[in-house]
Parts: sequence; structure tokens; C-alpha cells
Amino acid sequence: MEEYAREPCPWRIVDDCGGAFTMGAVGGSVFQSIKGFRNAPSGINKRFLGSLMAIKDRSPIIAGSFAIWGGMFSTIDCTLVQFRKKEDPWNSIISGAATGGILAARNGLPAMAGSALIGGILLALIEGVGIFITRFSAEQFKPPALMIDDPSQLGAPPEASSS
Amino acid sequence: MIDLRNENTDNPRIHNKNSSVINQPSISSLSPYLNYDPVYFPPSQPEFIFPEGAVKQRGRFELAFSQIGAACIIGGGIGGITGFYKGLKVTTIAGQTGKLRRTQLINHVMKHGSSIANTFGVVSVMYSGFGVLFSYARGTDDSLNTLVAATATGMLFKSTAGLKKCAVGGGIGFGIAALVCLWNSRNTFSEIRHHGMNPA
Repeated sequence: MEEYAREPCPWRIVDDCGGAFTMGAVGGSVFQSIKGFRNAPSGINKRFLGSLMAIKDRSPIIAGSFAIWGGMFSTIDCTLVQFRKKEDPWNSIISGAATGGILAARNGLPAMAGSALIGGILLALIEGVGIFITRFSAEQFKPPALMIDDPSQLGAPPEASSS
Repeated sequence: MIDLRNENTDNPRIHNKNSSVINQPSISSLSPYLNYDPVYFPPSQPEFIFPEGAVKQRGRFELAFSQIGAACIIGGGIGGITGFYKGLKVTTIAGQTGKLRRTQLINHVMKHGSSIANTFGVVSVMYSGFGVLFSYARGTDDSLNTLVAATATGMLFKSTAGLKKCAVGGGIGFGIAALVCLWNSRNTFSEIRHHGMNPA
């Protein structure tokens, strides 16, 4: 767990929100540029123009959705840390499910349940992959067999630097 | 360095301080690594860590995500409040009540909130991107970076709305950045003015 590499809890919300927004903006730009390029009328200039318009129109919306997801997730994560007094994979899974549920709250109860399930499974996968990566990368740092030297073999201490 | 020999200094039997560590039972049972005499490793150089090459503050990249997130959240708050106000006005004029009014209010809040949050966030992403780019390219992080990044942000944000609006956007960015830079370096200016009035 890389909890020491991140901001402490209340400020983590802002940080995660910004990170998610950036991720959404960059990813949305790439995705929308391809989509706009393909959907535009023929002619290379029109294609680039369509690409640009698609980026301008759609990528802030995608970025905003990402930011809401990240901010909500982090808020619930921090709330759980506050109440449960520990940070473990269950926090992430619960907050992923809760985020999915809350953000689908206006689409009715079945949609909420589906979104919550998807959010929970997604976060469980991410946490599981993280745990496995930690396990495997921990193998290479396993200390070699302990070899104990006896410093008494060094002999008498040097007289020059004795105080 | 922990000096383990101090416990035995009042013992008159041990005059050679350098040989006493080996006989301490609590330490020799732990590990032979702890059972050494510091005299074996004389300090060949002064034991200080000088803050050479350290940056005095965090760089732009470390601050970027927090800035973007803060811009998003502030924009969402402003947009939500204005959306709520506008929704109240519109639903009062349209005479909507009860469930319909509630849904319309939520619609207004969500729509305005997300649109202003997106605008703020996009501007912030552009500014952070330009700032990081310039500070990597120039190798320093100073007021000139802020000015150029803000101007470029304004121009890029309005770049699809025609040349004139593009220039206006760049001018607005430059103006805000200039104000921020003046505010940040007000101490320097006051010192200069002080020296100018009193050249002692």
C-alpha cells in the first residue's frame, strides 16, 4: 500500500479529483479526436476540424465525469478511514460500490444496484491486482541468508584515534 | 552515534574504555553487529548533510493535481449555487410545484455545476500543462513562467472562437497572471521602494 506517497486524508479528495479530471481530459481528448476524425465528412481538413470540434465539445464532459467519480470515491474513502480507523482494500471496494450507486441515483433503484455492483467489482479487481503486484515485487527484495560476522576478529582497536 | 560506553565510566576497574562493549551481556546476545567499537570507524569526513541542490518549494507538477481538483470543486460550488438560484427563478415563473419543481431544480444545479466545474477544470489543466512544460523547458520556475503560461492558456481556451477573442482571452490570462505575480512579489517591491527612499 502506497499510503505514504499520497496526501493526508482531507486533501486527498482535492488531489484525486484533479488527477481524475486530468486523466479524463487527456484520455477523452485522445478518444474524441479519433471519434471525431472517423465521424466527420470526407476531406482531410474537414476530418481534422471534426476532430477538433469533438474534442472541444465532449472531452470536458468526460473529464467532469471522471472528476466526479474520483472526488466522490475519495470522499467516501476518507469517511470510511475516519470511521473504521484503518485503511485496507475493503475501504476502496466499499467506496467504489457506493460511488457507483450514488452517481446512478437518479436512474432508479435497479440502475443503482447495477452501477454499485460494477463499481465494487472494478475496485476489487484493481485492489486485487495491486496486492498481487506487491506480492510478486516483494519476492525480489527477499533478504539473502543471514551471515553473521564476528567483529571481535578485528583485533585490538587502533591507538591513534582513541580518545 | 550511540555511545554505549557511558554506563561503565564510573566503574574504576575498566580504564580502557574501548574494550568494554564486548563484555556487556545484553548487547552481545543481540547481534555481533551491535557489538562493535566506534573507534574502528573513525569519521573520515564531517558528518553533516548540506541542503545542496534542493528545491526550496514543490514543483509545478506536484501542485498541478491539487490545483486542478481545487478549481473543479470551486467551479462546481459556484455553478451549483448559480444553478440553484436560476432554477428557483425559472420554476417560479413557470409555476411548477412539488415533484416537478424538485426535479427541475436538481437538473439546473447539476447542469450549471458541471458546466462551470468543467470550464474551470479545463482552464486549470491547460494552465498546469503549460506551466509544467515551460518550467521543464526553461529549467526554472519563476514569475515569467506564470505570465507566459496564463497568456497561452487564455489564447488556447479561446482559440476556436476567432482571432480577436483569442487575443482577448490571452489578454485576460496575462492580466490575472500579472496581478498574481505582483501580489506574490510585493515584498520585493516594498524593499525596492524602501531602498529608493532611504539609500542608506
